[in-house]
Amino acid sequence: MSPMERIHSTQYYTFFQSDKERCFYIDLGQKVVRLSFCQLLALRQRIWSINIENHFDEDINPHGLEILALCNREHLFVLNTLEVLDLKELLTGAFFLLDIAAQTPSLSPRV
Amino acid sequence: MKDIARQQMSIKVESMDMLNAQIQMEGKASASYLAMASWCDQRGYNQSASFMYQQAAEEREHMMKIFKFVNDCGGSALSPEIGNINHDFTSLEEVFETALSQEIEVTKSINRIVAGAKKNSDFGVENFLQWFITEQLEEEKTMRDILDLFEIMGRDGIALKLIDERIKAE
Repeated sequence: MSPMERIHSTQYYTFFQSDKERCFYIDLGQKVVRLSFCQLLALRQRIWSINIENHFDEDINPHGLEILALCNREHLFVLNTLEVLDLKELLTGAFFLLDIAAQTPSLSPRV
Repeated sequence: MKDIARQQMSIKVESMDMLNAQIQMEGKASASYLAMASWCDQRGYNQSASFMYQQAAEEREHMMKIFKFVNDCGGSALSPEIGNINHDFTSLEEVFETALSQEIEVTKSINRIVAGAKKNSDFGVENFLQWFITEQLEEEKTMRDILDLFEIMGRDGIALKLIDERIKAE
């Protein structure tokens, strides 16, 4: 793994960029996952499509867990409600700091 | 640090999300026009059916335009899931009223995206959507003109046949 720059961290996760490899890494605790840009967009789409309200519905999602397959099913993660919210926060912040998202209220743009 | 993400994608992710929602909307509009075409075809309103088939194809073209734009800009276009299409109408007039309402909803949605793109200084998206703004004005006018025929010619018997004959697929 080549040197990486930390872009953004949340309670559980950290987002990195590798200039040399022109890709991104997310440290998810159990392991570090390498993502190309389109894989990053796919992850964002996957996280955004999770209906977090279902985590509080005993019938729809009794255990409050999400199974997440990343990078064309190369990686598999099981996330609880707090981890899903944290990953969402990580991506929101990272996309803003990468200058491809216009809005996030809690962060300042990278200079 | 290199702007790797920005080099990969020319539009903001908020615009991408809104355009993906628009892809869904145009896809649903296309399917809805097909349902209207079917209704007209089954009842012998042949000109109206041809018009609706053409509208369905146009909406799909719109969808594809946006789909390609999102991918060309480095984003990720999502193939829409279409469901819950209404196939039930009580009259030919209701078919065109539904069509006009649908076009108005599409116009509103396009306007919202343009407003969002402006707010986010995403001028490429704003510029891309200018064609859709003009197109929507034309679509609304076409539907209004057809609905005017019901006011002029009536809603019963031969009037419906004469209205149908005046509806032209371009």
